[in-house]
Amino acid sequence: MNLSTKSRYGLRALTNLLDQDCCCSIKQISKKEHISSDYLEKIFAKLKKAGLLKVERGACGGYSLSRDPKKITLGEVINALEKPEFICPDFCDCQSKSVWQKIQSGFSHVLNSITLDQLAVSKNKSVYLDYAASTPVDPEVLNTMLPYFDFSFCGNTMSLHQMGSVASQVVESCRQSFANILKVQSSEIIFTGSATESNNTVLKGIAFANKNKGKHIIISSIEHDCVLNSAKWLETQGFEISQISVDKFGLLNLDELKKTIRPDTILVSIIHGNNEIGTIQDLASIGQICHDRGVYFHTDASQSFTKTDIDLSKLNVDLLTASSHKIYGPKGAALLYIKTGTKITPLLHGGGHEFGLRSSTVNLPAVVGFTKAAEIAIKNFDQENKKLCELRDYLIKNILKSISDSHLNGHPTKRLSNNINISFTRVEGESLLLELDFYGIAVSTGSACSSASLELSHVLLAIGLKPEQSHGSLRFSLGRFTTKSEVDYLLKVLPQVVNKFRQISPFKS
Amino acid sequence: MYTQKVLEHFRNPHNFGSMENPTAVGQVGNLACGDVMKLYLKIDKNKKGEDYIQDIKFETLGCAAAIATSSIVTDLAKNKTLTEALKIKNEDIIKALDDLPAVKIHCSLLAADALDEAIYEFYQKTNQPISPELEKLHHRITVCQTRLNH
Repeated sequence: MNLSTKSRYGLRALTNLLDQDCCCSIKQISKKEHISSDYLEKIFAKLKKAGLLKVERGACGGYSLSRDPKKITLGEVINALEKPEFICPDFCDCQSKSVWQKIQSGFSHVLNSITLDQLAVSKNKSVYLDYAASTPVDPEVLNTMLPYFDFSFCGNTMSLHQMGSVASQVVESCRQSFANILKVQSSEIIFTGSATESNNTVLKGIAFANKNKGKHIIISSIEHDCVLNSAKWLETQGFEISQISVDKFGLLNLDELKKTIRPDTILVSIIHGNNEIGTIQDLASIGQICHDRGVYFHTDASQSFTKTDIDLSKLNVDLLTASSHKIYGPKGAALLYIKTGTKITPLLHGGGHEFGLRSSTVNLPAVVGFTKAAEIAIKNFDQENKKLCELRDYLIKNILKSISDSHLNGHPTKRLSNNINISFTRVEGESLLLELDFYGIAVSTGSACSSASLELSHVLLAIGLKPEQSHGSLRFSLGRFTTKSEVDYLLKVLPQVVNKFRQISPFKS
Repeated sequence: MYTQKVLEHFRNPHNFGSMENPTAVGQVGNLACGDVMKLYLKIDKNKKGEDYIQDIKFETLGCAAAIATSSIVTDLAKNKTLTEALKIKNEDIIKALDDLPAVKIHCSLLAADALDEAIYEFYQKTNQPISPELEKLHHRITVCQTRLNH
């Protein structure tokens, strides 16, 4: 038996109406599914006649399902569009007739037992749960940026003419905006091209400017690669690096930090909200320890900025990194807060932009976008983080409940509002990631197999995971545009995906 | 980064699952590295009286490439005589998958090793002569394994 084009197209078109309260015009569906609108019109007329569709008039009008998709079977849809026939026609009275009849009733039974809502899983959905990697630009941010590509803002902020000074004024107002958010002086903020650049500037800039005092730098064992690899490079330049361990939740060992700081220590750099496991460090305590010992303290707040309250007027933080593309701003913009009086050498030498600390023509539209993104995030701080925390905890609870041998990595409460990191034993992360990708779900993994170097995540090893546990870890990171129904879709798909690979694995339990 | 062929075998692997009363089993890789492959063989005599792989199954814990190489090696080895099966090299596996990324070549080695190990076990169990090459392969695989496990 073959499904006719009518039935195939009919089912495909109906999958567009599965979301509740969805009302689509023929034109919209025709465009999306590449089916001619005349043909769709004929199909929909039949479905409407069979009572499966209803029409709504008006500006937002179009077709919608007349009943809950859970209560419409594939059999009903197909019967409305065609009469499925089997090879043996009615007039035939051969001996195999009863067999054909059985097949026919078997098919009907199958088709009547599948409901429309079940098509939702196989439908090509796209669910982005990798906001910690990068975020889409908020439409409001984009609109704010667009005029700054215009001729009137083309000037170089260093130029003396009118257009240069207009551009310069815009940058200064952006700087002031960040100063207000972080509660610091505007002269303490410089704009850079990325968080990686900010972190490189701190490690290398502090190292070379303070080498007369000492050559010892302290980082944690769970830093982002840009801090870790900058530190490793500094080792080749004669600097000495110490890594402070973390506990099983990823919290820094403060006693070890106190013991490790020496008279020749020049910098302590600790990530604020960890990018992999989401654990948030206690900036006040770490800052106090460094301040008491006269050592500069830098924190990489790329993940935590606008997700936790950071009031630098109350914290002993000397340097802080924040990034635009993690907070719905454009890529290619970041900032570095440098407390007045901090001795630092620039990474980039040139025309002396950004108080001589970062030569490069300022990327004006990106800085404007970054600023707008931060303003929006701060304005909606409470509401947005509350929503994220609720979705996060809902997801954690339900994954742990529905999938055996799964456990949460990172701290249960001191964690980023959007981060979920879970290990599944007896499966491998890259397989899970790719299989989820087939379902349209984008996540990230700490598995070695997915990294170019084939090295295991140093963060997961640092919190004491055995290699076989860290291979099967996934990070889900939520964001502004994540909905409860997206999270539910993941919860529906994930158990079967994990189960699939556990079936293939030689280790059953 | 993966070819269509790899993705096909990854999504719908052939011949997976365990086997009841296998004639021989070959297991390679280790948990710490994240890849473990286990091949089950059912070996019988063909009409000419040669030993051949009548059935083959795999169980694998690993990345997409590990699952795809396991799946394709079962296809390549099925119905082959043991002499033919021993000629399957990792290059053949890569070719059958239309290529593998450079960092995943070791997965094809693992699949070839698992097959060799299973055949080695069969020869040993049935007291058949083992060629010096197979002996050498077996030695390399076990040394590698022990080193990884410690």
